[in-house]
Amino acid sequence: MLDHDRHGDSTGIDADAAIVPDLAGGLIDRSIYSDPRIYELELRRIFARAWNFMCHESQIANAGDYFINYIGEDQVVVVRGEDGAVRVLLNTCRHRGNALCRAELGNTKTFVCSYHGWTYGLDGTLIGVPGKANFYRDAIDQAKWGLVQAAKVDHYKGFYFATLDPLAPSLFDYLGDVGRTGMESMLTQGEVVALDGVQKNVIDCNWKIAVDNLFDWYHVRISHNSASRVGFLDQRLMMPMSQMVMLGELGHAIGGPMVSVEKQAQLDALSDEERRALDQLPDAERAKQAPIERRPLRSTAARAAMGPLGVRAMGHPNIFPNLWISTRGMQLSLRLPRGPGRTEIWWFTVLPKSFTEQQRRKARKFVTHAFGPAGLLEQDDGENWSQSTQSSRGVASRRYAHNMQMAMGQDEVLVDPSGQKAIETRVNEHAQRWTYRCWGEWLRARDWPDLLANRSPVPVGRI
Amino acid sequence: MPQDVQTSPDAMASLGVLEKATLQYEVEQFLYHEAALLDDRRFAEWFALIADDIHYWMPIRRTVTVDNLDREFTTADGMAYFDDDKADLGMRVEKLQAPSAWAENPPSRTRHLVANVRLLEVKGAEVALEAAIHVFRSRLNDKIDHWIGKRRDRLRRIDGGFQIFERHIFLDQTVVLSTNFSSLF
Repeated sequence: MLDHDRHGDSTGIDADAAIVPDLAGGLIDRSIYSDPRIYELELRRIFARAWNFMCHESQIANAGDYFINYIGEDQVVVVRGEDGAVRVLLNTCRHRGNALCRAELGNTKTFVCSYHGWTYGLDGTLIGVPGKANFYRDAIDQAKWGLVQAAKVDHYKGFYFATLDPLAPSLFDYLGDVGRTGMESMLTQGEVVALDGVQKNVIDCNWKIAVDNLFDWYHVRISHNSASRVGFLDQRLMMPMSQMVMLGELGHAIGGPMVSVEKQAQLDALSDEERRALDQLPDAERAKQAPIERRPLRSTAARAAMGPLGVRAMGHPNIFPNLWISTRGMQLSLRLPRGPGRTEIWWFTVLPKSFTEQQRRKARKFVTHAFGPAGLLEQDDGENWSQSTQSSRGVASRRYAHNMQMAMGQDEVLVDPSGQKAIETRVNEHAQRWTYRCWGEWLRARDWPDLLANRSPVPVGRI
Repeated sequence: MPQDVQTSPDAMASLGVLEKATLQYEVEQFLYHEAALLDDRRFAEWFALIADDIHYWMPIRRTVTVDNLDREFTTADGMAYFDDDKADLGMRVEKLQAPSAWAENPPSRTRHLVANVRLLEVKGAEVALEAAIHVFRSRLNDKIDHWIGKRRDRLRRIDGGFQIFERHIFLDQTVVLSTNFSSLF
C-alpha cells in the first residue's frame, strides 16, 4: 500500500509547510477551513491513515456486488469476491489510471478498463491484457499489476471499514470503547439491514464544519426552529437540558441527550417484549407510558453491549474522522472531503431485520423527513456551513478565531466503576473541542506509531 | 426508467382528436398555473391544488451500467429524497412561509418550466401525464441550481379544475449538486 508520507508527491501543495494551529483554549483558527496545505495534510495524515466507513454488508450481499466509496479523495470499489470475501480496491487502472468502475453500485464478474481493456478479477488480480503476446511480447508480469488494495479491510458486526495504512491498529482497537458504543447504538434491536438508496448531495463547506455540527445541540433551537414550529419535532426533544458527552480514543466521541439514572432504572425493569410494545405505540400514547422520551427503547442486551454509561448516551456518535451516527441509530452519514471548501454528504439507512412492514414504513418516513437535502432539519444546515466556510477566506475575517469555549473548564469527566467515562452536563462544546484537539494530533503525527505514542489520553476530571 | 404508467399510444384511443386537444389544453394550463403559484410563492394556493391522497415522491437515482439499469432508481420500499403524503407536504408549505426557515430566508428565486406534456391515460375523472421539467433556482447572490427531469403526475378533475393526487419526480442527476431541496417540484 502506498504511504503518502513516504513517497514523492507532486500535488504542488507543500503539505509539510502547513502550520497546524494550536486549538487549545477553545479558539479555532479559521485557516483550518480554507488553507489548501492543511487540507492536503488531512488527506495524507487523517484519511489515508484512518479506518474509513465503506458500507453495510447487506449492500454487497452477493458475489460480484460492488459499491463505490471514497477514502479521502481516493475512489475505491468495495466488492464481494467469488470467495465471499470483501475487498476494497483503488478504482484506478494500473496501466493509465483510468477509473475501472464508473457506476455507483452494481454487480459484475470482472472490471474491464474502457481505455485499453486491461481486465481485473473481483479480487483485483490482473487477469487479462489485450495484446499481451503481440504488443507486450509477453514481457509483462501480470502478477505485479493487480489493482491496489486497501491495507486492511474489516467489519464491525456487518459495518465494513477500510484503511490504506498497514500500520493502523485493528478496527476493534481503533474504535475503542466509545467508537464501539457508537456502533452498537445501531444494533440495540438486533441485526440490521440497509435500505436501498444512499442520499448524496454536495455542500460548499469544509468537511470539519459538517462534522462538528453533529455534536452541536446549541444550534438546534435556532437553525431548526421552523421544523419544530410546523410540528416535525418537539422543541423539548430538540434541545434537551440534560446532556452526556463521552470522549473516546483517537477523536471518537458521543454527544447529546442523556437518559437519567432514574429513568434508565425504570427501563431496566421492563422486559424486551414490553419495550417493543411501548415503542410501537402512537407518539402521544408512548409519551405517556414510556420511561424514556426518545426512540428506540434500547434492549436488555444493549446495556451489556454499550456499557452502563453508553446505554444512557442518546446523542450522536462520531467515528473519527467523518462518520456520524444518528440518534435513533438508523442512519449513518459520511462527510466526504472534496477540497477545502466542498463536502459531499451521504446518508445510509439501516433498519432492524425484526421490524414489521408497518415499523419499516414509519421509520422510513421519519428518516426521509429529517435528513438528506430535502430533510426538514437538514435543509437549514447547509447554508450556515457554507457561509461559515466562506468567511474563513476573507483576509480580515480569518484573523479572528472561532469561539468554541462553551462550558470549558466547567465540567467533570467522571469514571464509572465499569471504566466508562462521561460528562453529565447541559448543552456544551466539549465533544467539538475534543474532536479538534485530536485532529491536531493526527496532523502532527508522522505515522501511526508516532500518533499512538503521543496522542492525548481520554481526559478525566475537570474539563 | 420506471414503467408504472401505461405509455402505449392506445391509452387514449377512446377519445376523439378534439376531445384530446381540449384536454391537453386544460391540463397544460393547469400545470402552468400551478408552476406560477410556486414561483410567485403563493404556497397556500398551490397547496389547495393538492388532493388529500397525494403521493409526492422523488426516488434516488444512481449512476449504473447498462446491465444494472434495473437498479437505477430506488423503489417504493427504498430510500427517497421526497416521500410525502398530504400532512408532510403541509409541513413543507408551512415551513416555507416561516421567517425562521433559513434556507428560504432570503427567499430563493425559482422558475418552474414545464414542457413536453404528454397525456398518458384518461380514466373517468383521472388523467395521467408525463412532463419534462426544468426548475431553476437562484439563491443569495451567486448560487445557481438547475433541476431537470421528468414528472409523472396524476390529476383528478374537480369542480372547475384539477387536483394533483400523484406526483413522481425523476431527476436527471445522481449525486445532488445542491446544498438542499428547499423548493418544491
